[in-house]
Amino acid sequence: MTATIAETTTSRRNFLANGIKAIAGFFILALGIPLTGFTISSALKKDKHDWIEAAELGDLSDDKPTRITYHYRRKDGWMTTESRKTAFVVKEGNDAYTVFASRCTHLGCGLDWDATTNQFKCPCHGGVFDAHGNVVEGPPPRPLVKLGCKIEGRKLFVMEA
Amino acid sequence: MGRIYAFLDDRLNLEPLVRAIADHPVPDHANPLKTPKALMYCFGGIAFMLILLQIVTGMFLMLYYVPSPDHAYASVTYIQDEVMFGSLVRAVHRVGASAAIVMVFLHMMRVYFTGAYKKPRELNWIAGIFLLVIVIGFGFSGYLLPWDQKAYWATTVGINLVATVPLVGDFLANVLRGGSEVGALTLVRFFVIHVMFLPALLLVFLAAHFFMIRRQGISQPL
Repeated sequence: MTATIAETTTSRRNFLANGIKAIAGFFILALGIPLTGFTISSALKKDKHDWIEAAELGDLSDDKPTRITYHYRRKDGWMTTESRKTAFVVKEGNDAYTVFASRCTHLGCGLDWDATTNQFKCPCHGGVFDAHGNVVEGPPPRPLVKLGCKIEGRKLFVMEA
Repeated sequence: MGRIYAFLDDRLNLEPLVRAIADHPVPDHANPLKTPKALMYCFGGIAFMLILLQIVTGMFLMLYYVPSPDHAYASVTYIQDEVMFGSLVRAVHRVGASAAIVMVFLHMMRVYFTGAYKKPRELNWIAGIFLLVIVIGFGFSGYLLPWDQKAYWATTVGINLVATVPLVGDFLANVLRGGSEVGALTLVRFFVIHVMFLPALLLVFLAAHFFMIRRQGISQPL
């Protein structure tokens, strides 16, 4: 008889202990899942790039690259920074354009278009690119960076890669 | 779990400690399973759980919050609109703050109306009063942090109340503001008070509070 009482006492004790563990587990999950999502959420976000209105098609020259400037808004968490950037638009055919970032692939200097040789020239270390962005001479390791571009209603939009 | 505990117990002899902490019988008059109205003896424990919840959610909110007038509101908006579960975590911290103050107050009323503050528990009552002031301080300092209109004017009014203290009022108000106006310095001050100074005080007084309740036991029923 006494043994039975001892057994029930133990099982009641275990039951309550398990109940406490279950409640604690529920709270840990209910807190842990949202807080984990909260913490990793900014790391999961992909950089979003928007189309930026950069030029009117009528302003673009047919036979030589046109230098355009556009305002690039970058979101960094709760901050948005705006910077002015320049690019060259090369007309490749009817409504076909290539946009090169005006940034030497060597160390990032701004480029100039040399109309006499039909080449992009970098004033810093003598990098030279042809009208298709390929390296002609000098230290640049890669061709010029192409920006995404699209035409909508006689306007040219660009997108940072 | 059991094996990890056995490993630690084997080396550190934890059993007596665990028994001392976990094995304390609750008298029937304070046990809600025996007497339902004993639920009022749980108010203090509930307040403590809410405070733990505030500490945890507050720690996580600090991952994104910035205490500067240029960024405070933008960072709160970012938490609210762009961080996954952000509005939930902030809501828990915001509602939890009100709930904690309500529970602390109910706990105080229970202690008052059951006469539990009387000898030998006067010191614990005094520690409790300090805790009440600390918890209200948390509420007041946290209210400024979103840096919106409500926050700004509530703080302006609160500090004007301080300024009515005889003789030293204006001085105290300037110290709280960190200058003559509610501005950048006030925001940093309130933030640091909220996340550093008050938590440190809270831990000290909570430790004292819990030590005393365990030494003296729960007061007898009326």
